[in-house]
Amino acid sequence: MNEKRNIVITGIGVVSPIGIGKNAYWEGLIEGKTGFKAITLFETAPFGIHVAGEISDFNPVDLLGKKGLRELDRSTRLVNAAAKLALDDGRLDITEDNTHSTGVSVGSTFGSLHSISQFDRQGLIDGPRYVNPSLFPNTVLNSPASRISIRFRIKGFNTTISTGFCAGLDAISYACDFIRLKRVHRVLAGGVEELCEETFHGFHALGCLSGSDGSEPRCCPFDRRRNGTVLSEGAAVLILEDEEQAVRRGAHITARILGCGNHFDPEAKRDFSHEGKGLKEAIALALHDAGIASEDIECIIAGANSTKGLDRLETRAIKEMFGNRAYAIPVTAIKSMIGESFSASGSLAVVAAAGIVTRHVIPATVNYRERDPECDLDCVPNESRQKNVGTVLVLAADPYGNNSAVIVGTFPGNG
Amino acid sequence: MTKRVVITGLGVVSSIGIGWRDFWHSLLAGTSGISPVTSFDTSDHFTRKGGEIKQFRPERFMPEEDVKFHNRASHFAVAAARLALEDSRLTDDDLSRCGTGICMGTTLGSVQSVEIINEMDVIRKEQTIPAELIGQVPTHSTPSLVSRHFGIKGPLMMFSTACAAGNYAIGYGFDLIQLGKADIVLVGGSDPFSKVAFTGFNQLSAVAPEQCQPFDKNRKGMMVAEGAGILVLESLDNARERSAPIYAELLGYGLSCDAGHMTNPSIDGVATCMVKALQAAGIDANDVDYISAHGTGTLANDKTECAAIKKVFGDRYREIPISSIKSMIGHTMGAASALEAICCALTVKHDIIPPTINWETADPECDVDCVPNRAREHVVTIALNNSYAFGGNNASLVLKKYIA
Repeated sequence: MNEKRNIVITGIGVVSPIGIGKNAYWEGLIEGKTGFKAITLFETAPFGIHVAGEISDFNPVDLLGKKGLRELDRSTRLVNAAAKLALDDGRLDITEDNTHSTGVSVGSTFGSLHSISQFDRQGLIDGPRYVNPSLFPNTVLNSPASRISIRFRIKGFNTTISTGFCAGLDAISYACDFIRLKRVHRVLAGGVEELCEETFHGFHALGCLSGSDGSEPRCCPFDRRRNGTVLSEGAAVLILEDEEQAVRRGAHITARILGCGNHFDPEAKRDFSHEGKGLKEAIALALHDAGIASEDIECIIAGANSTKGLDRLETRAIKEMFGNRAYAIPVTAIKSMIGESFSASGSLAVVAAAGIVTRHVIPATVNYRERDPECDLDCVPNESRQKNVGTVLVLAADPYGNNSAVIVGTFPGNG
Repeated sequence: MTKRVVITGLGVVSSIGIGWRDFWHSLLAGTSGISPVTSFDTSDHFTRKGGEIKQFRPERFMPEEDVKFHNRASHFAVAAARLALEDSRLTDDDLSRCGTGICMGTTLGSVQSVEIINEMDVIRKEQTIPAELIGQVPTHSTPSLVSRHFGIKGPLMMFSTACAAGNYAIGYGFDLIQLGKADIVLVGGSDPFSKVAFTGFNQLSAVAPEQCQPFDKNRKGMMVAEGAGILVLESLDNARERSAPIYAELLGYGLSCDAGHMTNPSIDGVATCMVKALQAAGIDANDVDYISAHGTGTLANDKTECAAIKKVFGDRYREIPISSIKSMIGHTMGAASALEAICCALTVKHDIIPPTINWETADPECDVDCVPNRAREHVVTIALNNSYAFGGNNASLVLKKYIA
């Protein structure tokens, strides 16, 4: 149990507001493409905000075919499309021989919220006997992940984790534990959230969205002008695999997952912690898990989403963890381009990290204009940067107190 | 170099008792917790009964402020956690000295908050929804509140693997201790009575009108219910060091996925799950003395589960007592397997098996020994706790009588 097993990424599937497929996503990040557009999925008049990271070019039929699509909600379509892309990218066929040694681990917190709410509203409006029973299975939070197993016949295990902003990273951490415990050889791990009226209403009502004051919404992490985030949607699925098994089946290895950490912060009570103790602990645990020192971290992908609290909390935690070296580490906020996709964001960030260690370019924090003395780290402003990076730290913090960190590293064989 | 993991505290919020002693006493007496649903109007539903908890007073367990700002799922969870921690004789000092974590499970998450919001919007046409109500919708607000309340440091996990979520949470708590990520983990599940669940299962014709009768030939379905069960999991070393009470040892667990149908269970999927649990526990089918069935009382579940048990246990299947406490408390969703794990811990501790009540007529497709109607004294060294969920997410746990 104590012998440490290396865990590698052997396949990547992404459906994001700036690109569908790994390469389109990575290129979008490097180009500084933003994915914010007019919302078409629901009526925006009641909110006075009309822009979000809606994936308007997402056509599930392209990736999944017509069959069996009708009853699937948007989250399920997004994450199944990402799973399909990951399986194709990893050239992994699920067969009777490997189905029991393959699992699924997905982070999603509001992925089924629209289905739940619509099901309930139909009962209120038309009466409970007129509710469509075939839509009931969509109301369980594990429906999107379970449909990955059903569609691709994956039998090892299937888990859904709902820890808010941290869920995308927590699903990866859980998958790594299962591989280390030798329960399976590989896991399709990731996260998903759909853009819907209910989630939008929630973020709006809690004052988290930019543009609540009538101004043009902008997502500008670490910028003094930041006044809320831009909500978005997306899904990312990574094939995480025991390195020995991956080598044995001749898989192409993109990067390694070096370590994971998770820690609670009691100071957060529906608002981000100020001190960031929990986030610092999560980083320390991830470093310990990876068996590396803080000096080894060469780049950080922050969870920073252009809200006052989160960007400040992360800056503070990074400074306290890395001391004087904090200013020498590029700390990029990719949500400036893809927006806040909640439980999907962590897995989208891990995919970005895998891109950094393979392409040797750090995506920028775009929309950056005015320096904030409370967020004064090197946020890679506006221009992506060529740099040979071997180790990337990915962060997530949740206003209810959870904090997670994952470290991604170069696969030595890739040179 | 495997760490032994033991159960050192039990916390129960159920329709037949709050606190494990009342719950256990009621289980052994064959008490039903089913009653007419009062939390919403059922006059347009096909059925009217469910397993609501009518005697629960959240003020007993937390300050008024927390009662006001959190939903029923969280109230249940804090109450069950408090009861479990007290039962385990864990002091604040113990909790600050040890590595602690929390893993919880739920089916529909904070769906009750969504139901309240929709009712305000659709029926009462209220213009604004209070922010504190919206703040209850994220389902991880429940384990977060528990962690804050009792100083649990993390890891924090919320599993939303539907009706098997409790077992998923207990299993991962076991893993966290094995992996050295925590010494003590609060594990379990909490779900409030949900209109969405009641309507949905009604529309699938899966709800019994009067009583839940697992394994009975004339069974008519499940009973939607609510509750919470929290257990304290602890490394044996830690438990010994502080002379903690020990109910049972957790030997391991198995997960599987049917990868077939969203709502119909599969014999192979369920059987694989039991086999994986036995393998993880390092035992074989002959060692099992009791099975706490998923046993929802639906036609499909009980038939499939019995067929899977036959497949795994062969000729021995009729010798193993198999009961379903859902006959008494109904299906408490994400809490179900946690409450059943508590039942298993008490069964191996006391060598008494709670019955499957409401059993009248034998079903040739469910010809197991379901401990009909009356609790039974029986030496139970190893208990297997089954749980299955929508999506074909299966989880089985193995518990063992604690022997130093």
